[in-house]
Amino acid sequence: MGELKLMKGNEVIAEAAIRYGCDGYFGYPITPQSEVMETLMLQKPWETTGMVVVQAESEVASINMLYGGASCGKRVFTSSSSPGISLMLEGISYLAGAELPCLIVNVVRGGPGLGTIQPSQADYNQATKGGGHGDYQTIVLAPASVQEMNDHVGLGFDLAFKYRIPSLILTDGVIGQMMEKVVVEDQKPRWTDEEIKEKYGDWATTGKQKNRKGNIITSLALESEVMEKHNIHLQKKYREIEENEVLFEEFQTEDAEYLFVAYGSSARVCQKAIEIARAKGIKVGLLRPILVWPYPKKRVSELADQVKGMLSVEMSAGQMVIDVKLAVNGRIPVEHFGRFGGIIPSPAEVVEALEQKIIGGK
Amino acid sequence: MTNDTVLKIPRITPKNMTEKEFFYGHKACAGCGGSVAVRLALKVLGERTYTALPAGCMAAVGFIFPQMAFNTNALITTFPGVASMASGIAAGAKALGQKDFKTVCFAGDGGTADIGLQALSGMIDRDDDVLYICYDNEAYMNTGIQKSGLTPYGTLTTTTPAGKNIHGTKTNKKNLFEIIAAHDIKYAATASIGYPQDYINKVNKAKHIKGATFIHVYASCPTGWGTPTNTSIEIAREAVDCGLIFLAEYQNGDYKLNKNPKEFKSVKEYLTKQGRFKHMTDADIEQVIAYRDMKWERMRRNWNS
Repeated sequence: MGELKLMKGNEVIAEAAIRYGCDGYFGYPITPQSEVMETLMLQKPWETTGMVVVQAESEVASINMLYGGASCGKRVFTSSSSPGISLMLEGISYLAGAELPCLIVNVVRGGPGLGTIQPSQADYNQATKGGGHGDYQTIVLAPASVQEMNDHVGLGFDLAFKYRIPSLILTDGVIGQMMEKVVVEDQKPRWTDEEIKEKYGDWATTGKQKNRKGNIITSLALESEVMEKHNIHLQKKYREIEENEVLFEEFQTEDAEYLFVAYGSSARVCQKAIEIARAKGIKVGLLRPILVWPYPKKRVSELADQVKGMLSVEMSAGQMVIDVKLAVNGRIPVEHFGRFGGIIPSPAEVVEALEQKIIGGK
Repeated sequence: MTNDTVLKIPRITPKNMTEKEFFYGHKACAGCGGSVAVRLALKVLGERTYTALPAGCMAAVGFIFPQMAFNTNALITTFPGVASMASGIAAGAKALGQKDFKTVCFAGDGGTADIGLQALSGMIDRDDDVLYICYDNEAYMNTGIQKSGLTPYGTLTTTTPAGKNIHGTKTNKKNLFEIIAAHDIKYAATASIGYPQDYINKVNKAKHIKGATFIHVYASCPTGWGTPTNTSIEIAREAVDCGLIFLAEYQNGDYKLNKNPKEFKSVKEYLTKQGRFKHMTDADIEQVIAYRDMKWERMRRNWNS
């Protein structure tokens, strides 16, 4: 069913969370994602579904509120943009260490430092390689449209609870600020403690009853042997996710001789670039990872047998290109093209880069 | 002030104030109160000033290349770290053997009372030689008018909407001045751009005190408040005259009210001319007045003994 709406990417994050039956949001203002909290405050879900919305005093506070809410087995989320996510990293590492499910939305802007408020994809490494301290991973979803912003809220929560792991939506100022038509789902009820327990097990600290033992949430293990065991357990879980949850989309790859690899808004630029290139007679396709962790390594590797070269198109100085190179393992040329500091590459630029760096380079 | 340790500071007035500009050509909105606070303070502090600003309006409007508005040394810091970075600047300048300089922070209400409070507290605790000026426009204006810890009761912001059931912000302003004074800081003051001479005097006093000092200056924001751009100074003055903002100092363990009016001007008039308070009912306004009276009763009882 659902309902057709015209909404901004940031607004739909809020709308989708309410409709999904999310229990709480904790956030702090930062451009270009402030509309998430603003929309929640306007919708007042505490009057309808009972969802809690809290404005924290800093990003450090919001991520730790998230830790608290997630510990109770509640479906909670936060949103921020690059500098704010950097502040949250300690908390994200704790959440991963304590195996708590939650959703974190990063509407990436140009960096480093205070950077700019224009869109960027330069937080890829931070998101997909852990980011904070310790050996950990988070599931990273990379929406390329306002519709996917909606879909990834539910998907992010589902995966987070399935594996007891933080999910991160890695989007950018383009998708966050852009208005598109979107089908939002019908209102689902919030889950009760019992429903969560039944579905995902009894691990949450929901308040100790007389006749049962209390649960403990921690990422601390002072004995090295215990900590190593916990790490082995985490790594096993990450391998399982890599095995089962890879998600990607292909565009005109059937006859492709060259391949763009791009996610999020860059992938949309590439779709137009393919049109231009094919008009010139260059057979190029696109592989778009929908999740950037786990990464579609296997498919990239398979396509390396088919195409003559790959161009990783990112709004960064070249981050995802390393993952592409690892998957290709030197068999064919892999290059990077990107604009950064808040600039979105034009389709023509992308085609030019393909011609110069890949086709011309052969 | 009988126990004033700072003696014979040459008085600075608009008449003898330098004509040099240290914050000029910025891109602030018309009628920006924060820019008035920065401009006046730098005129008092002079050329030998290290200026530190966290993310916020003044950083956003002052550092747009090629129109760099600061004629002093100036840097943008992290949002939670302005006070720490100022501590580092003061230490660095000291290590360079510089003596005739002042380090100053200009941070907004959110950057001070919310995310920056921990760093500020540490800076005061160490008594680092820094003047911290908080320009208070009562919300996160730079990111689009979200509520901060210094947003007063009943304010319409984008995160505290006003409608039939909820009438804007449900909490009162944090008592920032008292929080700072509770550190036993060498000098702290409140001010308003509506009373510029009082503000200038306070900046001048802080300039001559070695160690941590703090000024909380009320700075109007037509964009966020829904007021005409040509009334910024009047509104900031009216806030003081109606008793919602007070002018005070804390020095050597003593509080002092600089302005203790027998009668306040109308709170209702002050509130209803601003878009951000338009929705307030008489009951809301009564609550604001009751809170004001409670606070003044306490201040008069405890501070002016």
